[in-house]
Amino acid sequence: MNTTATIPADTQNSIERVLCYLQGKKPQRVACFPLILNHAARVLGVPVGVYNRDGKTMGKAHVAAFRRYGNDLILIFSTTSTLAEAMGTKMKFFDEDAPQIDEPFLKQHSDISKLKVPDFSKDGRLPVYLEATEICVAEVGSEVVVSTVFGGPFTTAAALYPVELLTRDLIKNKAWVHELLEICTQAGIKFIDEILARKALPIIVEPIGSGSLVSPRHFHEFVAPYLKRLADHVHKTGGGMPAVLHICGKTKPNWMAMLEADFDIWSLDDVDLGEAKKAVGHRVALVGNVIPANLLKNTPEEIDAEAREICEKMGDKVGFILGSGCEVPINTPPENIDALINAARKYGRYDN
Amino acid sequence: MTRERGDILKDLMDGVFLMNEELVIKAANEIVAAKYDAYDAINNGLIAGMNKAGELFDQEEYFVPELLICSDAMYAGIEILRPHLKVSDAREKHKVVIGVVEGDTHDIGKNLVKIMMDAAGFEVHDLGRNVPLASFVEKAKEVGAGLICLSTLMTTTMDGMATVIEMLKEEGIRDAHKVMIGGGPISQAFANKIGADGYADNAAGAIRVANNLLAKAAA
Repeated sequence: MNTTATIPADTQNSIERVLCYLQGKKPQRVACFPLILNHAARVLGVPVGVYNRDGKTMGKAHVAAFRRYGNDLILIFSTTSTLAEAMGTKMKFFDEDAPQIDEPFLKQHSDISKLKVPDFSKDGRLPVYLEATEICVAEVGSEVVVSTVFGGPFTTAAALYPVELLTRDLIKNKAWVHELLEICTQAGIKFIDEILARKALPIIVEPIGSGSLVSPRHFHEFVAPYLKRLADHVHKTGGGMPAVLHICGKTKPNWMAMLEADFDIWSLDDVDLGEAKKAVGHRVALVGNVIPANLLKNTPEEIDAEAREICEKMGDKVGFILGSGCEVPINTPPENIDALINAARKYGRYDN
Repeated sequence: MTRERGDILKDLMDGVFLMNEELVIKAANEIVAAKYDAYDAINNGLIAGMNKAGELFDQEEYFVPELLICSDAMYAGIEILRPHLKVSDAREKHKVVIGVVEGDTHDIGKNLVKIMMDAAGFEVHDLGRNVPLASFVEKAKEVGAGLICLSTLMTTTMDGMATVIEMLKEEGIRDAHKVMIGGGPISQAFANKIGADGYADNAAGAIRVANNLLAKAAA
C-alpha cells in the first residue's frame, strides 16, 4: 500500500478502545471488528476441519489471528448450527471448509418430543467452543474482548428442521413453531450462562431472520420475542456486558421489528450503514460492513476505499465500529484484513 | 350447476396468491368436471396467481414463506390439470439448467428462482444442490439449454461459477449458453469479473434477467 506512512499510531489497546464504547466515551479511533471466524485456522496454518473439531486448536488459532492482525474482537465460532448440532442435527465435515448441515434432527413434527436442551459438557462440539473460549480469555483476555458466537432461536430451529418446511409452518403450524422456538431459547439462555461464566461476551447470530427470508410481521411474531429473552438475560446476568446481535443479508425491512429485541449492538451486512445510522443509530451501535466477497477478491487499495466510504457515511462516527458485513472468507488475503484495520486507524478518527 | 369459466379461473388465481390450496384444488377439479380447457386454466388461473405473488414478493409484501405456500398451491393445481392437457398444448419452451454449485448445500434461493421460472413458462432442469461443475455443462448440452443458472451462498464456492464459464469456453460452446448467477455473496461486479452474462439479486429479478438474456440470444 502506498499510504503506509500516513497510518496514525494507536494510543489505546484493543480492550481500552472497546471499553470507551461501553462507557459512552470517544475512543482514539473507531474499533474494528473484521469477523474472523474459520479464517483463524489459516493464520495458525491448520486445516479448517481440525480447527473446528479441537478446542485447543480453535483457541490457539484465534490467539494467533489476534496477534497477527490486532482485531478488536475475537469471535469463537465455526457454524450457526452449533446449538442444533448439540441437540441432534447431523453435520457434514470438510477438511478445508466449515461444516454444513447433513441431516436435520427433526424429521416430523412429533419428533419434537425427543428434543432437549443440550448438555454443555459433552454434546456436539459445545466443549470445543467452550475450551477455545477459555484458552483465548486466559491468553489474551486482558488485551481484547473474547466472544463466543452462536445461532439465535430462529436460526437454531431452522437447523433442527428443514428451513423450507419451517418457513411454511410460520403460516400453517404456528403453535408448533413456537414450541420449537421455546426449546431453542432455553438452550440459548444456557449457552449464555456458560459463556459468561468464562468471562467472554455472548454474541447471537440470527441469519435465518434476515429480511431475505422473513417479513417484518413474522420477525415480530417469531424472531424478536425470543431474541429479546436472550438480550434480557445478558443484561440481567452479564455484569454490564452489551447484548450483541449479528444478522447477515438484507435486514432493512426488519429494522423496526429488530429494535423490539432490545440489543445494544447490531452487526449488519447487506445494507447502507449510513441509512441504518439515521434510522436506528439512536438506539443501537452499528458494526459493518465491508462486503465479505470483496475481502476475498479485491485489492487492499479497493478495501481501503470501500472502508473509507463507510466511515464517511457514518458522520460523527458515534456508536460505529468498522467491520466486515459477515464472515471474513476463509481464504481472504491477510493484507486485505490489514487494509480494513488500517482504514479504521486512518478514517475512524474523531478529531478530524 | 356449472360455474362460468371466468369465475373458476378467478378462484384458481386467488387460491394461489392468497395461499388457499383447498380453493385451488376445488377449482381445478371443477375445471376438469366442466371439461374447460386445462391449458387455459393453468396459464390464466394458476400461473397468473403465481405471477401476482411474485409481484407482491417484489414489493416486499410477500416474503419466502408466502411465496413457498403460493407455489405449493400452484403445483397442487397443476397436478390435477396436467393429465387433461391436449397434445396441441405442448409448445416449445425456453430451456434452463439450474443448480447450486459444488461445495454448497444452501438451496432455498435456487428453489425460489426455479418456482418463479416454472411460473414464467421456462422448462427448468433442476440439478439440485452441491452440483459437480461439469454436470452443469453436460446437462446444458444434453437438453440444449439456452441458459445456465448458478447459485451459491458461500464465498468458498463462488469461484466454481467462473470454472463453469471456463469449461464452456474450453468446449467452444460459450456462445450457445448464457450464464446467470446469484446468491448471497454474489454481486454485479463479481458477475462482470468472471464474465457471466447476467446477475440477479432476488427471484423476481431473476426472471427479468433471464427473459432479457434469452431475448438477446434470439436477436
